[in-house]
Amino acid sequence: MTVRHVTRQALHILSFAVTLAVVVGLLKVLNWVPGALEPGLMARYPSIEAAASGLGIRQIYVPAYFPESLRWPPAGILAQSKPYQAVVMEFARAGDGQIVLVISQAASPNFEPDVAIRFDTISETIPLDLGGRKARLEAGACGDRSACSRIQWDEGKVRIVLTMKAPAVELVRIAQSMQH
Amino acid sequence: MDLTNLLNAYPGIHVVQAFLHSLSAAIIADRAIVAWNIRSPVIRQKFHLIAVFGPVFSYPLYQWINPDRGSMHFRLGTLFDSSRWFNLELWNVLPAGPLLVLVLGVATAIFLFQELIPILRHRPGPADPASRTVRASQGSPAASAAEGLDGEAPVLFIVEDDDPAIHSVTSRSPAIYLTTGLVRSLQPVELRAAIAHEVAHMRRSGRPLLTVAYVMRVLLFFSVATLVAFRKAAAEEEKICDDWAVKVTGRPDALAAVLEKLRHSDAYEIEDHEAGEGLRSIERISYDLMVRERIRRLADGRSTTADTGDWLKFAVTVASIAILNYYIV
Repeated sequence: MTVRHVTRQALHILSFAVTLAVVVGLLKVLNWVPGALEPGLMARYPSIEAAASGLGIRQIYVPAYFPESLRWPPAGILAQSKPYQAVVMEFARAGDGQIVLVISQAASPNFEPDVAIRFDTISETIPLDLGGRKARLEAGACGDRSACSRIQWDEGKVRIVLTMKAPAVELVRIAQSMQH
Repeated sequence: MDLTNLLNAYPGIHVVQAFLHSLSAAIIADRAIVAWNIRSPVIRQKFHLIAVFGPVFSYPLYQWINPDRGSMHFRLGTLFDSSRWFNLELWNVLPAGPLLVLVLGVATAIFLFQELIPILRHRPGPADPASRTVRASQGSPAASAAEGLDGEAPVLFIVEDDDPAIHSVTSRSPAIYLTTGLVRSLQPVELRAAIAHEVAHMRRSGRPLLTVAYVMRVLLFFSVATLVAFRKAAAEEEKICDDWAVKVTGRPDALAAVLEKLRHSDAYEIEDHEAGEGLRSIERISYDLMVRERIRRLADGRSTTADTGDWLKFAVTVASIAILNYYIV
């Protein structure tokens, strides 16, 4: 193997690496463009206040009752104002930092927050009266067989969904404390 | 169901991601051929086929590896998230979602009018149906030219037609069809080179790669990148057969002369179809460019039947595309 051969091989590798770098850069620019053209697309925010002020969302629904086992503030906040307003707050358990509660609100019934908590089976679906609002409570188990529950209702044009890795009774208490 | 819901449903996501993955794969594979200085058409063809095979399986495979790949968290950390474009209205007038559907529609129309319909209408034989076709007799110029090319002599048919043309049928009864015009216009050594090229097609027809690739290409009918990549792979197939013909005849100049004569043949005009004269002109120009490139590489002595030594580069390219496409949702 001559020096010339090694140099040529190195140039080929460099040339391919540059190709990949250009494609990655191009993709990043193309991913950035929509946000630049139309601010308000889904993004992460450091705080509830930052999301509200940054996107002009007048009301973000937060529970007044908050179990001690959960950490405050939210571990993650995702929000958008385009194509419709939506906020997703994820709360971690104090002990291990695992996401155990997700609260989402969206001005569209089609919004699916792809939450970190995934139901494996739903064993019960119960209609519920939540301070005069019609709510739907679902109870079942998550992938790791732990108890999971979900409750959803409409607050005007905003659909609120709470998903928790806990029995339904705790989730109902949190939901009741969100009534205005 | 509105467009956003359609694009967010499983088939919609599969189509969008296959489209994007084929685009990135085609660009990277194309540039990789240049960057790695790949010369063998056998290897070049495999590079082009990455954009034909990969996107069919990439989305279900990635979802199987990571079911959360479609989640908001994943999308926020990706290189490119297509959903950011769907609801965008460019200059508050032009919605980007329907634009994508338009691009997919154009690719589908090209597939229908340039590939599927012509194949369904295809007539066997290079000349018009009224032409007389006879089997080449022993000792005839064509039969003599084909002697000793590769084991058993190929079955040759002579078609009564003044236009110089040649093609092979590789189905149940493989045979080569030559026109009387071709036999008359070529020197014996050129005729041998032309037949050798067709014998190469017949030999390679036993390999299912291009047939399977065509099935994949049909599945990705909506992807412009796959269309282009498949055509480039098909062009490499011609070069592979050129190289085999040069190997057995030892006369690249003779094959180059054949291609030059066929370039000007009316029989190689693109068949009529309903897509209009403009499209036919583009096809003709594209065909002519391909033939000229083949003539050039034969004249430059670039023909090679080597197909080893570049597999590591191929593996690196496939791996790079697979990793990159994982982050394109």
